[in-house]
Amino acid sequence: MRITSANAVFLMLGPIGFFVLFFLAPFGLLIGESFMQPGGGVTLANYTSVLSDAYYWGALLNTLLISLWVTLVCFLLGYPLAYFIVFHVRRAWMRRAIYVLLMTPLFTSNIVRAFGWIVILGRRGIVNTSLLMIGLIETPLDILYSKLSIVIGLAYILLPVMVLSICSVLQTIDRSLVEAARDLGARPSRAFLTVTFPLSLPGVIAGSIIVFALSVSAYVIPSILSGGRAMVTPILIFQQYTATFRPDIGATLSIVLLAVTLMLIGTYLIIFERRLRTVGEPQ
Amino acid sequence: MSPNLANQFGRFLIAGVSWIAMLYLALPLFVVIAISFTTTEYLKFPPQGLTLRWYWQMVSDPTFVEAFVVSGQLAAAATTAALLLGVPAALVFARKPFPGSQTLSALFLSPLVLPTIVLGVAVLQYASALGFARSFWALFVGHVVLVTPYVIRTSLASLSGMEPAHEEAAQDLGATPMQTFFLITLPQIKPGVIAGALFAFINSWINVEVSIFNSTAQLVTIPVKLFNYIQFNIDPTLAAVSAATIYIAVVVVVAIDLVVGIEKAAVNTTADTRT
Repeated sequence: MRITSANAVFLMLGPIGFFVLFFLAPFGLLIGESFMQPGGGVTLANYTSVLSDAYYWGALLNTLLISLWVTLVCFLLGYPLAYFIVFHVRRAWMRRAIYVLLMTPLFTSNIVRAFGWIVILGRRGIVNTSLLMIGLIETPLDILYSKLSIVIGLAYILLPVMVLSICSVLQTIDRSLVEAARDLGARPSRAFLTVTFPLSLPGVIAGSIIVFALSVSAYVIPSILSGGRAMVTPILIFQQYTATFRPDIGATLSIVLLAVTLMLIGTYLIIFERRLRTVGEPQ
Repeated sequence: MSPNLANQFGRFLIAGVSWIAMLYLALPLFVVIAISFTTTEYLKFPPQGLTLRWYWQMVSDPTFVEAFVVSGQLAAAATTAALLLGVPAALVFARKPFPGSQTLSALFLSPLVLPTIVLGVAVLQYASALGFARSFWALFVGHVVLVTPYVIRTSLASLSGMEPAHEEAAQDLGATPMQTFFLITLPQIKPGVIAGALFAFINSWINVEVSIFNSTAQLVTIPVKLFNYIQFNIDPTLAAVSAATIYIAVVVVVAIDLVVGIEKAAVNTTADTRT
C-alpha cells in the first residue's frame, strides 16, 4: 500500500507519543533518580555505594552464575529436542502436540509454574517421597529453596524459548547439504558435527543470549524458589521498594541490571548482523 | 562400534533426551492440575479422591473473583490499546520505511527483552511523580508497553508476507487509503493480527513484575494475588486457582493454533527475539 508522508506521520503519532510518554519518560526518570542526592542535586554516590558493596556484587555474581547454569541446562535439553522436532518427528499431529507442550507453559504465569516445582521438589514432594520409598535416601533432601531449585525452575521456564530459537534455524538448513556429506562418505555423527551443528549455531547463540538475559532479570522464580536463601539482583531491587524503602538504590540497581541486559542484547545484535553479512540472507 | 550401531545409538540418545525434556516441560503443570482435585486438606500427589471443592472455594471467594475480573479487564484494555498502536506502526514500518524507522521499531520491540521488573519500577516512579501511582491507569500503561511489541511483530510478519500488488491495484482503481486498508490489507493480515492480540492478551494476563509494583490491596491482578497468597498458604485452593489459569492458557494456545497454526506462531513470535 502506498502511504503518503502525511498519513505516515499521522499513523505514527499514537505509537510514538505513547512510547515517549510511558516508556522513555519513565526510564528517563529512573535514570535520573539513580543520580539523585537525597536533598537534591546530582551525584554518583548511589553508584559508588552499590558498586563498592560486596553484598550487591555477591548478588550480581550469584545472578550471573545461576543464569549461566540455566543457559547450559536449556542448551543440553533444548538442542536434542529441537533436533528431534525438526528431523525426527514425521507425523503432523505429533509435531503439533509438541508445540502445544512448548507453548502452554509460556502462557502460564511464573507463579503457577513455580508452584508446580514446590509440589515436586518440597520436603514432602514427589521427588523426596519417591526416593524415600525406594530406599535411596533416608531423610528428605533439601532440593527446594536452594540455588539448585532456582536453576531447575528457571531452566524449565526458558527451555521453550531455547527450543524455538534453535528450531527456527534448524528448519532453514538445506537438507541436501547433509545428504551431500553423507554421500561423500561422512558418518551421521561427522555430518552432524561438520554440517548441521555449525549451521545451527546462530540459533544456539541467539537462544542462549536471550535465555541468559531473561534469567538475569527473572524475579518471580528466584523469589519463590529461593526461600530467601539465595540472593539475586531482581530480588534486591524489589526489596528496595518494599522493605528498605530506598528507591534511589532501587533505581541504581535497576540501571545496573538494565546495563547488563543491554550489553547482552548488544552482543546478540552484533553477532546477528555479522551473520547477515556473511550469509547474505535477506531477513 | 559399527557405523550403523553408532547411528542407532545417536537416534536413541536424541529421542531419549527429547522425551526427558518433554516430561520436564509437562510435569509441573500436570502436577498442579492433578492436586487441584484432591480431597485432602493439604497438597497430595497423587491426589486422593476427586473433588471440585477447591474450585468451589475459589469461585466463592470474592477476592479471587475480583482479581480475575481486574486481570481480564486489564488484559482486554491493554490488548485493545496495543492493537490501536501496533497495527498502524507495523503498517508504516512495512510500507513506508523512513530514515530511523529501524531504530524506532527496535525501540517498540525492546520491552520484549528488557527486564520487566525494571519496567515495573520505572512505571511506579513515573506514576508517583505524576500522581497516578498504584491505579488501574498505571497498570494499564505498563501493560500496553509490555504487550504492544507482540502485535507489531505478528502484524509485520503478515504484512511482509503479503502481496502489495493487491493494495496498489485497489489504490490505482481509486480506493482511498482507508478503504484499501479495511477492504484489502486487513482481511489478509487478519490471522497475524489476531495471533498478536492473543499473545498480547496472555502476556498481560500472566504478568507479575509490572503489576506487583503498581497494585494495591484492593487492586490486584490474579498473578499478583497468587504471588501474595503463596507466601503464606500452600494449599489445594492455590492449586485450583492455578489450574484455572492453566485451562485459560490451553484455550489460548488452541485458539492460536486454529487461527494461524501453533507451529508458525510459536517460531515467529517467540524464537525470533531480534529487536
